[in-house]
Amino acid sequence: MIKDLKRVRNIGISAHIDSGKTTLTERILFYTDRIHKINEVRGKDGVGAVMDSMELEKERGITIASAATHTEWDNHGINIIDTPGHVDFTVEVERSLRVLDGAVLILCSVSGVQSQSITVDQQMKRYQVPCIAFVNKCDRSGANPIKVSEQLKEKLGHNSVMMQLPIGLEDKHEGVVDLVTMKAYYFEGDNGEKMVEKEIPEEMMDDAVMAREEMVDAASMFSEDLTDAILEEAEITVELIMDAVRTGTIARQMTPVFLGSAYKNKAVQPLLNAVVSYLPSPLDIENEAIDLDNNEESVILESDFDKPTVALAFKLEDGQYGQLTYIRVYQGGINKGDTLINSRDGKKVKAGRLIRMHSNQMEDVDSIPAGHIGAMFGIDCASGDTFVSPNINYSMIAMNVMEPVISLSITPKDNKAQINMSKALNRFTKEDPTFKTYVDHETGDTIIQGMGELHLEVYVERMKREYQAEVETGKPRVAYRETITRKAPYNYTHKKQTGGSGQFGRVLGFMEPCEEEFEFVNKVTGGRIPTQFISSCEKGFLACMAKGPNLEFPVTGIKVTLEDGAFHAVDSSEMAFQAAARGGFLEAYAKAKPVIMEPIMKVVIETPNEFQGACMGLINQRRGIIQGSQEEGVMSVVESQVPLSEMFGFSTVLRSGTQGKAQFTMEFSSYKQVPQSVAEEIAKNKAEEKAAKNK
Amino acid sequence: MLKKDLILRSPAELAIGVENITDGHFGAVLSRAGVGKTGFLVQIGLTQLLSDEKILHISLDDPMEKINLRYDEAYASLVDSIGYVDPQKAVRLWESIKHNKVGISYTESTFDTDKIRDYLKSFKKADLTLPTILVIDGLDFDADLTEILEDLKQLNQEFSIAIWLSMKSHREEPLSQEGFPVQLANHEALVDKAIFLMPVDNKIEAVVLKDGDKTDQKFTLDPATMMPVE
Repeated sequence: MIKDLKRVRNIGISAHIDSGKTTLTERILFYTDRIHKINEVRGKDGVGAVMDSMELEKERGITIASAATHTEWDNHGINIIDTPGHVDFTVEVERSLRVLDGAVLILCSVSGVQSQSITVDQQMKRYQVPCIAFVNKCDRSGANPIKVSEQLKEKLGHNSVMMQLPIGLEDKHEGVVDLVTMKAYYFEGDNGEKMVEKEIPEEMMDDAVMAREEMVDAASMFSEDLTDAILEEAEITVELIMDAVRTGTIARQMTPVFLGSAYKNKAVQPLLNAVVSYLPSPLDIENEAIDLDNNEESVILESDFDKPTVALAFKLEDGQYGQLTYIRVYQGGINKGDTLINSRDGKKVKAGRLIRMHSNQMEDVDSIPAGHIGAMFGIDCASGDTFVSPNINYSMIAMNVMEPVISLSITPKDNKAQINMSKALNRFTKEDPTFKTYVDHETGDTIIQGMGELHLEVYVERMKREYQAEVETGKPRVAYRETITRKAPYNYTHKKQTGGSGQFGRVLGFMEPCEEEFEFVNKVTGGRIPTQFISSCEKGFLACMAKGPNLEFPVTGIKVTLEDGAFHAVDSSEMAFQAAARGGFLEAYAKAKPVIMEPIMKVVIETPNEFQGACMGLINQRRGIIQGSQEEGVMSVVESQVPLSEMFGFSTVLRSGTQGKAQFTMEFSSYKQVPQSVAEEIAKNKAEEKAAKNK
Repeated sequence: MLKKDLILRSPAELAIGVENITDGHFGAVLSRAGVGKTGFLVQIGLTQLLSDEKILHISLDDPMEKINLRYDEAYASLVDSIGYVDPQKAVRLWESIKHNKVGISYTESTFDTDKIRDYLKSFKKADLTLPTILVIDGLDFDADLTEILEDLKQLNQEFSIAIWLSMKSHREEPLSQEGFPVQLANHEALVDKAIFLMPVDNKIEAVVLKDGDKTDQKFTLDPATMMPVE
């Protein structure tokens, strides 16, 4: 392991699906001598890229789970996390961004800034990850890296600055002009491994001088020395420029833009130089934890090997030797045999085998020092757990996790599948906080919940392939909710006298819509309801929120105010007041105009211009609201909001309607009231289901 | 109630009349560059939204976000013009009607009436209410638009959709015999209603060039908000 942290980079490679993330990572591994043969993502050899280690990823040509890998370039250690590009797996992207110090944002030189780039960029902002941009696919027809750099400014608000100019584009793309050194670079050899430095072609000189001036001007904002050099017309050295660009990049005030074509082996090496030169080392980034023994005060972690250890488990994998836990060490270090505490449950664990990953190949190491990424074997934990030295009790700040919006019932095909399915679900829920599972006690079905159809589909496939658990799936179900739309009073007395001590409790007040999930306000005065029964009332009301009285969907957005009531010295009890609250809830709920709410998804379609009208039509037919459409070169973007229930099977419909040329992304937007006609349909289906169950 | 109040304050209601907006085939808003054609067209669209109708706004100049922003701002100006309105009520109303607008941004080379036809057909296919007006902002009337206008006329008939266009005139060009800018004179037969905007003493004067009885009426507008000045 490299001890000098100035020479360590923990980077992610993030982008829109199909921008070439995995291809680029593959090239990086090739040029850094980690692999000796290049495999294409959807190569004819059937091998697949090294970073797509999961079988399913290789087959679908998409990256689902992030694979961590270590490599070295120019005396620097680089840990790379390859992140998934599809919105359904965004939790993976968020998790990897949490442990990274910097990122390479890949953009397609034809499609430019796409919807997923926007999502990924927002996540980078949330975790304050500095980034450099790589405009890939400059060999494609319609490539325009300068336009993409402009889009970075316009659409993502980056201060993007071109660091290179392309030498030729589309099928004439040969290399790049480096605006810092003012040299031209060409890539020769079978796999572009020979980087040849030449003079800038004469016809490009004027453009290069102008672009360099712009770049130096932008960089001078971050360096007084550079500004002085410009004003005094002194020599502007390469070091001066690089220092300024690095400062601007680490402060997230500047995004240097590089370009090339990973697929055609063009300009990957200069990108690696840029990773080393401009992205931060662990020493440049401030990381925080919370001290659980000190009112959750935030603590700044230091990349100091001698300090107590703090490490975050950010990814789990089930391997042939047991659970593999990927960790980032923020402070101290983990040595073989060290005792650590999992700060979530206080359990002691012993660090056994430590490894450094190279995609699906392992390299044993004796320690993982602060600032590094590695993996541990044989530790039972969940993703997001913090491991600390026994003398401290820190936790890394919790990650922002969304509630699932879609569910699916699964039934194992046989007994063997039943056992394996449990194992698989246990693993998946530990790995992915947006994937949840429970057993529906009424039907006995196992229900899985997630962020989208594809998200659940992939887990069903993984159960089959990795755990040999074949399951039958039911129809996907939308997570409907119920709420009320107006204020309504309740005045309910629960009274029972059936021999022995009776039950008595009276509650009086009102319920009204509110922004929160549930709110309870106690306005009872003069001991009309004794204090010890107030919490029983709250419990009674809260219990009703789990299943709506009408259609049994969870109820949200209700504020219940308890104003008055009555009790009996002998017959009142906690149970009686809980029952009274339930009665009061039902009484008011019926009068409060209850409605059903459904999840609305933000759907963004990217389509060739000729299918724009057709795509907008498809949204129209799905109760969707088109927010607008924008043409960008040969592509159009259609932004819309569509109920999730209307989106099942949309990918097939979109494919057939656009000759497979359009793609879409979908993410949760908000809950909205369903129209009356749809509500009636839902109620009818629910009644039929109930009748079928009772048969 | 708020909807009615807002419509009554609209410059489009004053100059054209809200029910009159969707009658006929083509309407046009003319002016020199930078006077306020787009702002006036947005006010026309807004009256339809306030009448619970759907609209389709196509711009050959503005990106989608800017179209949406223009409507947000025009609505805010309209609300401000009637004095005090409960802000929450105003926001709720806007939230409930703004989704009836679809903004599409094209470049001049990619604008294609077939795409609009495809889109409008999908309303019929899904049995949805069609937009009542199609606003097209940014067509170059100095070029030959015969084919496009013919196509638009067909759309107008096929989908009963009124079409409102912006026409950029030029200061140095002489007017036609009827007193129309040449861009309007060239398509006079097609256009039923035309409003001409011109700057006069720090204000904008809206003159009805063509619209039955209303022809030659004049109104004064605030250039910042396009609201009528009393």
